[in-house]
Amino acid sequence: MEEIVFGIGITALAGALATVAGAAEDTESDIGSQGDPNSQVQLAPQMGYIHRIFNKAVAGEPPAYGLWVALGAGLAWAFMAMQINPILAIVLGSALAVFVQGVYATTAYLGRTASLAKFGQPVYIDILKSMTTVTMAHAFVAIFTTVAMCHLMISALGHPFPLPLLGLVWGIALGAAGSATGNPFYGKERQYQEQAFGAGVPISASGNIVRYAEAGQRNSLDNGFFSAKLGGPASGICFGLIVFFELWRTVVFEELNIWGPIIVGVVVILLFAIIDRYIEVWARKNFGPYSAAPEEASS
Amino acid sequence: MSVKIEVGAGGIPHNQVLIYGLVGSLVLIYLTYLNTYFQTQYFAFFGGLAAIAALIWGTDTIKHLCSYGLGTGVPSAGMIALGSGVVAALFGATTGIFAPIVTIIIAAIIGAVAGLMANHVVRMDIPVMIVSLIELAIVGAMTVLGLATMACGTFEFLGMITGTVSFLGFTVQTYETSVIGGSIIAVIFMLGAIAIQHSFNACLGPGEQQDRTLMLAAECGFLSMIAVAIISFAFIGTYAAFIALVISIIGWLYTYTKYIALSKRDAYAWLDAQPIMEPKGGA
Repeated sequence: MEEIVFGIGITALAGALATVAGAAEDTESDIGSQGDPNSQVQLAPQMGYIHRIFNKAVAGEPPAYGLWVALGAGLAWAFMAMQINPILAIVLGSALAVFVQGVYATTAYLGRTASLAKFGQPVYIDILKSMTTVTMAHAFVAIFTTVAMCHLMISALGHPFPLPLLGLVWGIALGAAGSATGNPFYGKERQYQEQAFGAGVPISASGNIVRYAEAGQRNSLDNGFFSAKLGGPASGICFGLIVFFELWRTVVFEELNIWGPIIVGVVVILLFAIIDRYIEVWARKNFGPYSAAPEEASS
Repeated sequence: MSVKIEVGAGGIPHNQVLIYGLVGSLVLIYLTYLNTYFQTQYFAFFGGLAAIAALIWGTDTIKHLCSYGLGTGVPSAGMIALGSGVVAALFGATTGIFAPIVTIIIAAIIGAVAGLMANHVVRMDIPVMIVSLIELAIVGAMTVLGLATMACGTFEFLGMITGTVSFLGFTVQTYETSVIGGSIIAVIFMLGAIAIQHSFNACLGPGEQQDRTLMLAAECGFLSMIAVAIISFAFIGTYAAFIALVISIIGWLYTYTKYIALSKRDAYAWLDAQPIMEPKGGA
């Protein structure tokens, strides 16, 4: 019994770390217009809309976070193998992984923007200087919390995987959670404030993203501020719940029966599918009809 | 909406890059055998350089393949390259001194199977698909083998599955602290997969220039080398790892500054804290 209580405590702590990670991850990726919003940011100059938005397309978020977290975990593992204290090892590993992330972000922005020279999109160096550091700070929070969570799973819950492999798995899960949950707030709504709500993106509106802010010109820090309000916390809850339920079902039900956690997992998925469906129908009914564009844009 | 991928024309022909990449990576990876020959670990960094030669070649292959309109397929190409490559590299590593050559042959077979599946079963019908996937699988395999060699100092399987741990003053050999046992191979997998696709993914567009894209490939390679060099402190001697780290940092600094200079050359304008310059005809 005491073991289960201890396990639930670790589960709650891991869930809390995951929530912070999800929130930081989504804010980071939205500041960089990574994932969902990227295609329109990339397209805008080709349609004549020159903008001052950070465009760091490293890869989709799941592979990118797979690398950042796996690298942070791998470096932390190596430092621990060199007899360095785990907390210090995780901090050092995450810091070095963030350095790699920052370098990738700058090269992605420079490369994409330089290749758009034909359309008159200049490289804004101040964007690189001010926004890369902000994404790096958010990425550090996301990587550190995820690696710490993986370390907790191994040292406190006795997970059999080595740290880097667990980092890879949870890094991809983190990127997927942020990409699926948080990005639509920015990519499908905030970029299209000039369109009627729920109108979708017809071809004629492609690339017509919001480029001017309440005062002056919008840059990606405005998007960070916006993401921190809605998309970030939503992603945080999503990833936190994934981690919490994943550990909770194993910690609590493994004692009863070896099949227990699997059955509980299926039940949890079904429960969430029902809740999601209810919310979707409720939202459609209350926030107006959804009129599909004649030719659905696929990105 | 799928954006049409345009690539710049001109530059070195692809076949020439292929030969340089294949021969370069093979020679460089065999140079790490000097470690076994001289019973030392100072030559481990040649593994990282082999990975860079392979990455430059792979970047050009991805550019070749993705000019057929695979927009969101660019990162996927990196994943399939390393996915096929890691299997070939681990199989090849078990064959002792023939490891790099066996790795290339196995990777070519895996790539050919993947290419035939993509073209004839999934029916993607892209003319260069089979050849490109063969090339990408070899690139992925050489990247994994190169970086793994750099981490542990040898391309032989036994070296990759044995690590040492000191316990109460005694040095004990264990599986848990090795490159494969500690899943450092997973880190190498991701480092390679992102590095191979990033250069073209970052530089695609009508103004793409081959020299800039390939310079970025080398930069990504050296950046991966820095990470692996730091990890290698856990496996090989301090001085050997330190030499690898210094070489990676010098290479990275050189390629990064070069890449920034090339971006400045190709950019429409290089502005600091300037407002949006609306095009003359209006949006």
